[in-house]
Amino acid sequence: MRAFVVNPLSAEEGAVPVVPAEADGVFSLLWLIVALPALSAVVLLLAGRRADRFAPVLGCLAPAASFVIGVVAFVALLGRGEEDRQVEQSLWTWLDVGDYTVSVGLLFDPLSALFVLLITGVGSLIHLYSVGYMADDDRRRRFFGYMNLFVVAMLVLVLADDYLVLFLGWEGVGLASYLLIGFWAHKDSAATAAKKAFVVNRVGDVGMALAVMLMVTTFGASSFVAVSAAMPEVSTAVATALGLLLLLAACGKSAQVPLQSWLLDAMEGPTPVSALIHAATMVTAGVYLVVRSTFIYAEAPVARTAVMVVGLVTLLFGAILGCAKDDIKKVLAASTMSQIGYMHLAAGIGPAGYAFAIFHLLAHGFFKANMFLGAGSVMHALDDEVDMRRYGALARIMPVTFATFAAGYLAIIGFPGFSGFWSKDKIIEAAFAEGWVFGTGALLGAGITAFYMTRVMLMTFLGKRRWQDDAGPHESPSVMTIPLMVLAALSAVGGVLLLGGWITGFLEPVTGPEGEHELFVSPLVLTGLVTVVVLAGVALAWMLFGRDADIPERAPQRVSFPVRAARADLFGDAFNEAVFMRPGQYLTRVLVWVDNKVIDGAVNGLAALVGGTSGQVRRVQTGFVRSYALTILGGALVAIVATLAVTLS
Amino acid sequence: MFEFEQPTVEYAEILPLLVVFGGAVVAVLVEAFVPRAWRYPVQLGIAVLTLLGALAATVDLAAGLDEVADGAARGTLAVEGAIVVDGPSVFLWGLLLVLSLVSALLFGERKVEAGLTAFAGQAAALPGTDAEREASTRGIEHTEVFPLMLFPASGDLLTLFVAREVLSLPLYLLCGLARRRRLLSQESAMKYFLLGAFSSAFFLYGIALVYGYAGSFDLAAIDTAVSSSTAGAPLLLVGVALIAVGLLFKIGAAPFHAWTPDVYQGAPTAVTGFMAACTKIAAFGALLRVFYVAFGGASWDWRPLIWIVAVATMVVGSLVAITQTDIKRMLAYSSIAHAGFVLVGFVGLYAGTSADTGFSSLSSVLFYLTTYGFSTLGAFAVVTLVRDAGGETTHLSRWAGLGREAPLTAGAFAFFLLAFAGIPLTSGFMGKWIVFASAWAGGAWPLVVVAVLASVVAAFFYVRVIVLMFFSDPVGDGPAVAVPSVLTSSVIVVAVLATVLLGIVPGPVLDLAQQAGGFVR
Amino acid sequence: MTFPWLSVLAGLPLLGAVALVLLPRGRGALAPRVALGASLVTLAVGVGAALQYEPDGSRFQLTEETDWIPAFGVHYALGVDGIGLTLVLLTVVLTPVVVLASWHDGDAGRWSSNAFFAWMLGLEGLAVGVFAATDVFLFYVLFEATLVPIYFLIGGFGGARRSYAAVKFLLYSLVGGLLMLASVVGLYVVSADAGEPSYLFTDLVAALSSGGVSESTGRWLFLGFFIAFAVKAPMFPVHTWLPDAAAAGTPGTSVLLVSVLDKIGTFGMIRFCLGLFPEASEWASPVVIALAAFSVVYGALLAIGQTDIRRLIAYTSVSHFGFIVLGIFVFTSQGGSGSTLYMFNHGVSTAALFLVTGMLVQRGGSAQIGDYGGVQKAAPVLAGVFLVAGLSSLSLPGLAPFVSEFLVLAGTFRVSVVAAVVATSGVVLAALYILIVYQRTMNGPPRADRALPDLRLRERVALAPLLALLLVLGLFPQLLLDVIDPAVSATLEQVGVEQPEPDVSVPAAAEGGE
Repeated sequence: MRAFVVNPLSAEEGAVPVVPAEADGVFSLLWLIVALPALSAVVLLLAGRRADRFAPVLGCLAPAASFVIGVVAFVALLGRGEEDRQVEQSLWTWLDVGDYTVSVGLLFDPLSALFVLLITGVGSLIHLYSVGYMADDDRRRRFFGYMNLFVVAMLVLVLADDYLVLFLGWEGVGLASYLLIGFWAHKDSAATAAKKAFVVNRVGDVGMALAVMLMVTTFGASSFVAVSAAMPEVSTAVATALGLLLLLAACGKSAQVPLQSWLLDAMEGPTPVSALIHAATMVTAGVYLVVRSTFIYAEAPVARTAVMVVGLVTLLFGAILGCAKDDIKKVLAASTMSQIGYMHLAAGIGPAGYAFAIFHLLAHGFFKANMFLGAGSVMHALDDEVDMRRYGALARIMPVTFATFAAGYLAIIGFPGFSGFWSKDKIIEAAFAEGWVFGTGALLGAGITAFYMTRVMLMTFLGKRRWQDDAGPHESPSVMTIPLMVLAALSAVGGVLLLGGWITGFLEPVTGPEGEHELFVSPLVLTGLVTVVVLAGVALAWMLFGRDADIPERAPQRVSFPVRAARADLFGDAFNEAVFMRPGQYLTRVLVWVDNKVIDGAVNGLAALVGGTSGQVRRVQTGFVRSYALTILGGALVAIVATLAVTLS
Repeated sequence: MFEFEQPTVEYAEILPLLVVFGGAVVAVLVEAFVPRAWRYPVQLGIAVLTLLGALAATVDLAAGLDEVADGAARGTLAVEGAIVVDGPSVFLWGLLLVLSLVSALLFGERKVEAGLTAFAGQAAALPGTDAEREASTRGIEHTEVFPLMLFPASGDLLTLFVAREVLSLPLYLLCGLARRRRLLSQESAMKYFLLGAFSSAFFLYGIALVYGYAGSFDLAAIDTAVSSSTAGAPLLLVGVALIAVGLLFKIGAAPFHAWTPDVYQGAPTAVTGFMAACTKIAAFGALLRVFYVAFGGASWDWRPLIWIVAVATMVVGSLVAITQTDIKRMLAYSSIAHAGFVLVGFVGLYAGTSADTGFSSLSSVLFYLTTYGFSTLGAFAVVTLVRDAGGETTHLSRWAGLGREAPLTAGAFAFFLLAFAGIPLTSGFMGKWIVFASAWAGGAWPLVVVAVLASVVAAFFYVRVIVLMFFSDPVGDGPAVAVPSVLTSSVIVVAVLATVLLGIVPGPVLDLAQQAGGFVR
Repeated sequence: MTFPWLSVLAGLPLLGAVALVLLPRGRGALAPRVALGASLVTLAVGVGAALQYEPDGSRFQLTEETDWIPAFGVHYALGVDGIGLTLVLLTVVLTPVVVLASWHDGDAGRWSSNAFFAWMLGLEGLAVGVFAATDVFLFYVLFEATLVPIYFLIGGFGGARRSYAAVKFLLYSLVGGLLMLASVVGLYVVSADAGEPSYLFTDLVAALSSGGVSESTGRWLFLGFFIAFAVKAPMFPVHTWLPDAAAAGTPGTSVLLVSVLDKIGTFGMIRFCLGLFPEASEWASPVVIALAAFSVVYGALLAIGQTDIRRLIAYTSVSHFGFIVLGIFVFTSQGGSGSTLYMFNHGVSTAALFLVTGMLVQRGGSAQIGDYGGVQKAAPVLAGVFLVAGLSSLSLPGLAPFVSEFLVLAGTFRVSVVAAVVATSGVVLAALYILIVYQRTMNGPPRADRALPDLRLRERVALAPLLALLLVLGLFPQLLLDVIDPAVSATLEQVGVEQPEPDVSVPAAAEGGE
């Protein structure tokens, strides 16, 4: 049985060239999907106080409208034949220099279609939720402006038909995330977290930028069409380089190890932001990038292995963090990392996994957004308390929140029937097919997930109440609960997408035919195994935090090393500080000194030297005629010698 | 028994010289017979008239010069070859006359000194006595201009020597006649006299040696002698070197410059300006003539010498100027540096692409001298205006904040400094460019590089003065800028105009310099 | 005789300057009004000139030529190619903005605000002349002449240490300028040897390309030019004058200095170093590329280490100029066009940054980062403008500088992967230097000790066009690239390096998709 092999892909199994048809009919409206939120964002950000009144309405309508258009286009796409489900709308020529041309265009194919629906759909719900959540923030106008801006950037990211245009959205979402994490920038922690997020993302973006440069050098183009068409000709080395560079980018955006450090801090942002950007959409952009680049990874088995390894490491990394956190949002963030790890694991497998990666991505989009919003609802009730040690016994007080959160919970731990069950199960299966190391890791992850999510449930909604009366918790207003219910429903029934392998079939134009993988046991047995492990995790959590276990108000300090490590994010920040930050600061200080003292010093020193010499030479001017006469005499001698020298030498 | 042959004198050709000479004689008589009250206006009138007359004669002469050596040069020999009336001579005469005219105005300034000129009647006269108050120095000035014109036009070494001496004597006197700071002035005169005499000795000895070699004083004859013999005889070479010393002394080239700062500082500022402009020009004219005409054949022998001197001059001039605290000394060193730049052009020995287009080393030097003459005269004219109770205040620290005190005066001075620094759109830049170009074309590009570096250093102290005038605040009550009469003001205006015009449309003057053509042998 | 667009363009501001000098002093807002008027008229004429220009017409357009100094072979010759036109436009666009933004800055100086604005207009006129000159001598004359106005602007109206900064700037530039003078003189000799002496760019190209100069001489002449331009640009290690000058000058002065004047350096490199000395340029390119890539990182690191916002911006410019020089000396059309576009974009973005910083400093009375905090709360618009300008400086996609920076990097990558990677790391550092200063000044709890009113209408009006430009050129860079690309490829043809081909040819079928 193989431990660590990537099955080689035959060409026809791998690279699927992008050959879109020109957009017509409904699809000529594609640009509106992006334009509407953009317009509203501009209005909200420039209109000033005037916009305060209609800000929430406009802010919600824009993505909703995009959603409608998205649905229409989606239906139209389903209406088309399997083979021509790729539509492209070219808008304008961005740049055309020498032999390199980039045209701004929108590519609407099954993959981007699903993302458009996710972004605008879940996005609209979260906007709606925000109306309630941000009701008493006097900077609502700007909040909705930023949220719309994010939607725009994210849509550009998934609709782009060229890697450079994709990069535009890629950094756009980074900006939006920066602005929203730092929305309460008067808190230093928020400002710092925002900056950290942006900078870490930039590191990933360097990978993206270099990848595009490599494309320009290799193909003289960076459009999906050109790259996918020419990809089969390139050397494996180039393909691998491209794959790894894109992976670096993905790691940045999706908070995968080693660029994971920013995500937990990012929870400083308002909770709807965490739900939309740091759970449902932006952080999954990495997965989108990998799946979008199937034609590259098809040529680069090494890169795909790297993707899987990153995924595996991260899914365990995140799961472990999840167990140790008391801040409910951080637990959810950690689990997001972990779940995205699953997606990368799947994406790295290749055609056998692409579809499931996207499937899990969608499912996760539902249940994680759902749970974040639920957490937000709880915080809303307990005036922004995030420490689960101060929660407990909220189930009765906040029934709706509890119920919906429970749906998300069941989905994420993969309770049979719920969306997460189908998606995760498929990934673990594929992972085992790829090699038992991956399989076991994924299985283990499932268990841990079950453990820490159960912990969250117990500490938040069940057990003893640990909050003060004056907190006066209450159920949230319906404007917040309605989105919760919708998302809960989706988390529950999201599995339907898999009915009859619909999603794999639907994505085929992008991912190619689902690769067959042989399994050492029947899928059913494996499913059973998974379920057992999950239940074990649940049981363990129940024993530790169950019914009448009393949880101390303050986190116990004298704990085993693993716990301490997990609380310290497995020393991720410590590592970055020691290896990059401190030396960097030192280097900067040294260079500043060098620039002032050495380089500028040399300049001033030269001037001083000239002045000094002048002072010396000046001494010759004694004012005595005798010495002057002497110099003349000397000069005369020199003159004679000089003239004679020429001929007599 | 040999019969005396009367030398033929071409009066028409040397008319400018005669006019100036006549003017000088009249002026002396005026000093003797005209009542004091009248002298000043009369003298000023005579000065202006004679100079204008001479100028007119020169222009007329220039128009009528006939070509020789199929267009390579224009002009003739006069007075048995003692005086060469050719393009360069005439150009220099014109230039010298104009500058003398301008400085004559400067000499005549009386307003700033409460109705008195800057000169004492006799160096010995006690301050406040009539002798001191009412004297004037017209005679001396006139006797000055004549040899100035003769110097670059002399056709043989003897005339050259005589001219050099006659030129020096009045200068010695003028330097000592300052009415303020008498001692400084007289000391400077003394130094100048002693060193001048000292250098004359070298000069004379050199002439003797060359005569010994060539058997003639006549430049053309020497030329033929030099060119005919292939190997340069030591006799000739030493002679050349010593003559060079004598001329370089007048130019103020290192290491024969030592007198310049002291004398420039001590002499009455008007005289300093006159020396800096006219004397240098005349001396360069002589240098060009002697070395191009007489020793042209031996250029390979003396070129290294000039290279060394040029480098030394530029370096010393611009380097030492940095640490000067007295504006006149600083300008003295700057004049030394400029002498160096001219030498760079001089040593290029560049014949020019063709007669009509392009330019030669000769014309480039002539042009540079023109630009430099006007700017430097203007600069010294400004110096005469910055005063306090003790007369002119030349210490740099007293110039601080002049920009606020008198924007126009300071502006003009700053402009001259920019010209010295060779900033474009000033005459100085055009001058620098053309001497560098001719030098490079003559293959002396290393000198050009040195010159460029020297100009950087030089720029430093020019800028320093500008900073001082505009960006620093006055110390104490600050300098007072005397309101001059029309005389000095017109000097400054003329200088500024010349500096601007030569900087923007150098064409006409360049053409003149080119048309001057080569030397007539 | 066609309409002398360029002469008028250069002449109008100079006339305005003269008018300002003649105007009565201290008449309130009279001087800035006149200056604004003059610069706006110039802008209008500039737009007119731009409309006359045909992207795929002859190399130099709107040309004028008359003899100036026949003896030197010097002509008064003007004309622009795409590169020159871009920079002329930059100049005429920025000047009115600067005038509007520094409405009152002239009052605090040693002289009347008439002088202040007169110098500014004079500078504009000379700068236009520099970018339009097609005669090397004329170029040099104007190149040097531009020093004088900026010198008096810094020295006469700057803050503390202004005269030190002014002198330092002037001497630095003079060193470069005089070295260049040597080369200019050398060029005369070259062209004289080739026959008729002529300083016309085209004639010189002909004289030099026809083997008019030995290899070594050519390299020496190249160095004379390059050093002058490197000082101007400024490149490591001859950059130390810029921080002092930028910190001492008024915001407007710094803008004109960094956004316009320094471009003369990079403009000169692409026009004269590459145009006249292709062989020497190739010979030098490895060193130059290395220096440029180093400048990128070095400038960025130093920017991070600064405590004075204006010095910080100055160092970011050192980094950006590194990019520009890099793009010029890799000899690829992406690199060259990117650099030229970068010159424009950097001009705009740095202008915005300097101006808004100036407004902040004017309010807070200090340029020290440590003296600020939480400005965002008190003055959201100011903070917003600062953020947008900053984001453009860290070249965020969607804002103008991104396009140019990416083009430069892509062009570099084709020639030297190492240089490209090093330079790309500057992108991360850029994020650091901008976001750190933004967080320290704008974020965090507001400081009680400083009352900061938000931007006034005049200031908003002044800044708005810059931000608009940043956004528009971020999405539609082709507006300028259409003009730039032909000029750059013409230059590269002179250099004679053939463009790198893609390693893999894209199937024709796929090409259709673009």
